[in-house]
Amino acid sequence: MVKRGAEEAGLDADHEAKRVRPSSRDHLSRLSDELVLRVLSYLPVSQLVLCQRLSRKYRVLAGDGQLWKQHYYDRFVRPRASRLPGLKDVGSSQKSLHFASKASKWLDEEHLIKRGGRTNWKRQYKLRHNWTSGSCAVNEIQVAEQAPVPPVIVQMHDGVIYMADQADGLRAWSAKSDRKMLAQKGFAHDGSPPTSLAVDSISSDEKISRVVVGFENGSFGIYSLDHAHSAFSHCYSHEPSSNGVVSSVAVAWPYVVTMTATQLLSLYKCNSAASSAPSPPRLLHSLKSHTVWPPLTTSLRLTGNSVVVSVAYAIPTYLSGWTVGVQEVKLSRTGDLIDSRISSAIDQHYRPLAFASQPMTTHLTPASGGLATSTTLELRHIHTKPTSLSYPHPYLLVSHPDNTLTLYLVSSTTDSLSISAGSRLWGHTSSVSGAHVGGRGKAVSVSKRGDELRVWELEGGFSSLAARKRLAVGDLSVRLQPETKPGSELDTAQAGLDLVNRGSDNTTLSGLARVDDADSDELTLTRGWIGFDEENVVVLKEQSQGRQALVVYDFT
Amino acid sequence: MSSEGEQTVKLVSSDNVEIVTERKVAERSMLIKNMIEDLGAPGEEPIPIMNVSENVLKKVLEWCAQHKNDPAPTQDDDADSRKKTTDIEEWDQKFMQVDQEMLFEIILAANYMDIKALLDVGCKTVANMIKGKSPEEIRKTFNIQNDFTPEEEDQIRRENEWAEDR
Repeated sequence: MVKRGAEEAGLDADHEAKRVRPSSRDHLSRLSDELVLRVLSYLPVSQLVLCQRLSRKYRVLAGDGQLWKQHYYDRFVRPRASRLPGLKDVGSSQKSLHFASKASKWLDEEHLIKRGGRTNWKRQYKLRHNWTSGSCAVNEIQVAEQAPVPPVIVQMHDGVIYMADQADGLRAWSAKSDRKMLAQKGFAHDGSPPTSLAVDSISSDEKISRVVVGFENGSFGIYSLDHAHSAFSHCYSHEPSSNGVVSSVAVAWPYVVTMTATQLLSLYKCNSAASSAPSPPRLLHSLKSHTVWPPLTTSLRLTGNSVVVSVAYAIPTYLSGWTVGVQEVKLSRTGDLIDSRISSAIDQHYRPLAFASQPMTTHLTPASGGLATSTTLELRHIHTKPTSLSYPHPYLLVSHPDNTLTLYLVSSTTDSLSISAGSRLWGHTSSVSGAHVGGRGKAVSVSKRGDELRVWELEGGFSSLAARKRLAVGDLSVRLQPETKPGSELDTAQAGLDLVNRGSDNTTLSGLARVDDADSDELTLTRGWIGFDEENVVVLKEQSQGRQALVVYDFT
Repeated sequence: MSSEGEQTVKLVSSDNVEIVTERKVAERSMLIKNMIEDLGAPGEEPIPIMNVSENVLKKVLEWCAQHKNDPAPTQDDDADSRKKTTDIEEWDQKFMQVDQEMLFEIILAANYMDIKALLDVGCKTVANMIKGKSPEEIRKTFNIQNDFTPEEEDQIRRENEWAEDR
């Protein structure tokens, strides 16, 4: 060691001496920026970040967007091409055209470019890198000291977390770095608790987000969040109806869909003109379903001149336990029924079970959702009743209390609607209480106690051989590994760390570092709600004392 | 019409030395190839290579002679399909075993004379000199002045920790 030190010192002296001699110039810096970039383009990411430390000049050059874009495409975009079925035979049949163009959009990562301004490719690379390795920072937002009954309902869109509960009304939080409350608005009337919530994710209006809240008494309200002024404004409240609890809502402005516990589906069109004088939404169509069981989810898609309402739901069957079904209702923009079709992921000879009891909505059954009720007990040997269901077309992801998830692929063409056979996803080591799948097949699932979060890459399903291979070796998901960030609120980050690291062996989990010692036997329960966007995963967590918190897993 | 392989061209280096070489060898350089096409009468008029000195030009022509029968580079293989491997064939590796001064002169000359394959070999050689080294080692290798304060450098190190090989 001593020798090496001396050598280095000698080198340094040599170095100093050389510096004055004109012969030992900084050769690399003689090259034009363009040529340096050419050199750097041969370096892997791990070396590029080292080059950023050389000097100010190289910090800029090695952080060049084109270099990182190249790495981003090589690592995250191109490999996906093989995962997308049907991409190779684009245009081979007219039916696939719609989805083919969608696929090419995914491949081009258009969303990154259209966002306006320049994309920070290094940042994007880091984001995706963190998703694939499951590393993130954890923060909590306290939302309630007492558990509201019925529980808080949460949605997330574009970096904003929306929550609705009886006591605090409608609230919006920022999921970005500051994590502050953006806006709050109490629910005006008689205090009927909210039972469902939807945020418009299709509208391109960047200034205003539309939110629809459904209530227990069958009414629903439309609100808009003005991002510039950070304020909710109440646009409209629909009369309570005799059709019962609004169990699910969906919005694609100006269309709103509600689904009640009595399985009545209604499509409304709102007046999209100035919100100052809102006129009541017009009921375009309503349908009654006799086959739909909770958990269910509704969604709205707008195509050229029609509105497609999809309801994904669970169905009990003989012999095969629970499976899923999708009903797709196509309406013209003026509300005329064009087409309604139904499909389920079961073989023809299975018949739905007739249940004596009326189905309850999930929101009103407290957290026991994971446990089989007496009626479902005899069925659980094959597919247990789903605990949650997420359906952004074409992915239909169902979580089960038996530690697994099932992925179905829904294909919807002009003349057929079908659901593929389900693929079981293994990986969780405890009961899965919630799962959410995003547009490009990325899914996040959370276990019932909130101690295990997994990120899945499900794009393209399992039709390709490579994907089936990954399914077989269980190489589909990554468990989140929160890391503490120096300087940030250490205690809360630490809590998240505890939460995840201890998960596998402890039956008792401490939710927060602050109460770590005092209440170490406190159970942490998640309601099963989970949401995510490009940068964050948010989980609603509840402790036995009733305190609720949103846990934000930040991947940036 | 005489066979092209036997034609010669006269090049003039920046330090005014005339070098006569086979036309096919010289035409590895797109700059020279275009000039010959523009001048129309090869072999008679000397072609000035303004930015390249005699010793560097000779070295570059040595490479061109070795690679004179390589297939012509395809037009648009640049950004997309360009293989990001830093593998260099054996002869080129030996060829590039020169001092740094010469290495960078060759890169600059290849860039000026528009010899893409040679430019790639040069850049790969430099990339290989960077690979696997710590920032301090890289600075020493190329005499790069560190204009960061220790705090700034540490800040960048922490920002980039996620991407380092662990």
